[in-house]
Amino acid sequence: MTAAVRRLARPAFAVWVVLALALVLFPLYLLVMVSTAPGSAVFGERPALLVTDPTLKFWRRVIERGDLWWPLGKSLTVATATTLAAVAIAAPAAYVLSRLPAGIRHTLVVGLLVTRMFPELAIGVSVATRFARLGLVDDYVGLILAHLIPSLPFVAWILAGTFAGIPRDLDEAAAIDGASRLGTLVRVVFPAAAPGIAVAALFVWLYSWNEFLYARLLTTSQNTLPLQVFQAVDRGARQQVAAVATVLVLPILPVVAGLQRYLRPGALAGAVKG
Amino acid sequence: MRGARQVIPGATTGLAAQVRRYRVEAALAVPLFAYVLVLTVAPVLDTLRLSLTAPFGARFPSLVNYRAILASEVFRTAVVNTVGVALLSLGLQLGLGLGVALTLHARFRLRGLVRAVMLLPLGVPTIVAGAMMLLLFARSGYLNAVLFGLTDAVNGLLGTEWRFVPLSWTVAGGWRTLLVLAVADTWKVLPMVTLIFLAGLEAISPDVYEAAAVDGATGWRRFARVTLPLLAPYATMAVILRAIDAFRIFELALVLAGRVEPVLGTYVWSRYGPPTSDSYTAAAASVALFGLIMVFVVLYLRLVAPRADLRA
Repeated sequence: MTAAVRRLARPAFAVWVVLALALVLFPLYLLVMVSTAPGSAVFGERPALLVTDPTLKFWRRVIERGDLWWPLGKSLTVATATTLAAVAIAAPAAYVLSRLPAGIRHTLVVGLLVTRMFPELAIGVSVATRFARLGLVDDYVGLILAHLIPSLPFVAWILAGTFAGIPRDLDEAAAIDGASRLGTLVRVVFPAAAPGIAVAALFVWLYSWNEFLYARLLTTSQNTLPLQVFQAVDRGARQQVAAVATVLVLPILPVVAGLQRYLRPGALAGAVKG
Repeated sequence: MRGARQVIPGATTGLAAQVRRYRVEAALAVPLFAYVLVLTVAPVLDTLRLSLTAPFGARFPSLVNYRAILASEVFRTAVVNTVGVALLSLGLQLGLGLGVALTLHARFRLRGLVRAVMLLPLGVPTIVAGAMMLLLFARSGYLNAVLFGLTDAVNGLLGTEWRFVPLSWTVAGGWRTLLVLAVADTWKVLPMVTLIFLAGLEAISPDVYEAAAVDGATGWRRFARVTLPLLAPYATMAVILRAIDAFRIFELALVLAGRVEPVLGTYVWSRYGPPTSDSYTAAAASVALFGLIMVFVVLYLRLVAPRADLRA
């Protein structure tokens, strides 16, 4: 590298970082900005990029109508329950997968992945017809069961890689010390795999929080938050859509920003090798 | 787990003994696979059967539904659009994902903050991303406002008198709408691709770079000859994971392009729903989409991935 190139490298890097940040933040800025814009500012050929006289009118309207608290509660409950159930069901299975001979493990993991290639909508319609017969429509349990459909193979796949990275000597040592097989799992293997489990759990939580399709198919009256946004998109004015979406997104962003330090990319590495 | 590890020939006799020996393991694994069988495999078979059922008449299996969708102009457009959006998205996401991952892997001040911001879209529901992109790309939207401003700035600087004609990005149809879909999808999923590439970068041991340095490889050569080949398996994982969802793109297309440019996701949706409510052709189109994804993944694994791995 010549000296001139090296001198340019630092500013170029800085420009690239700022540009990347701007591309991520600009749409989010728009959302918040529009939700506080008074009527005329957001229409016309050149909508204003800055709000000079912000109003909380639309926020107040959204909050006063009260039709966000119920969906918020439903979204939170379903996401949390889905996460707990997904880990409880998939983690033990992933452990068994990780201790199988490589050939069988590979076949089973690829099989799980292939089931994910089928269009979710077709699976969803078929599941929704069954659930309707079982009275699981407009029901927390029904939605949790539906959200487990994509979550379980995902968690099993990520964790099979994580567990494969835990030496079998550890299981063996625990077994020699007289721990039962289940005891080994709960007291030795799971703690050693905690970072991987945390990452998988975080992804499941976010998936359920964001999910639209199953929620739409399994809901007639009790919306989740994403459904509420979709309805607003369907019929609302710009600011109203923006206000609903802002209320849906703002509380979760600090959480994502805070949790990202625990998002060790290394937890995904096992899945690649497996 | 004692049993699964060591297979001692002749130590176990017959299936019953095997089952008894591994009953704990079986009990741990069965719930997951039972769940997938009941709530994924059964619905898939359901759909497959429906797609082969003639709506009128008892002949089974019948290809009448497949013939119907193949004859439909909308379906053929949807297939072309789906492939276009998927390839466009994959290209954008792999390129940008690698770039952002390399950036976040480098050491610089405020890296933690930059990383936190770059991962933010993980927490934004796809449907909200769609609403945001609608604000950005609508005819009286903010991308046009920005372009207006830029034209004015250029005119002020150069004394020219260019006029910017507002473009409609979402409802124009054609490549512009497909591009909007790919950009919207990329905004939402870039963190995931970035994390996969970061995993790959973190897995490269410093020793490898030291050895490369001894051999005189630095800068661009080191990147092309050492980093990229070692990232190949991670790129393959990113491509397959993303391809599955890119071909199935639905929410964004519903919000941004629903009425203009059909993709297979929204085509299936519109067949299932009113006014058509034709679950037979909807099922056939679902199976076709599944086939498309399988073909892509198999072709990729056969043609592209081995070459990338050979270089490693």
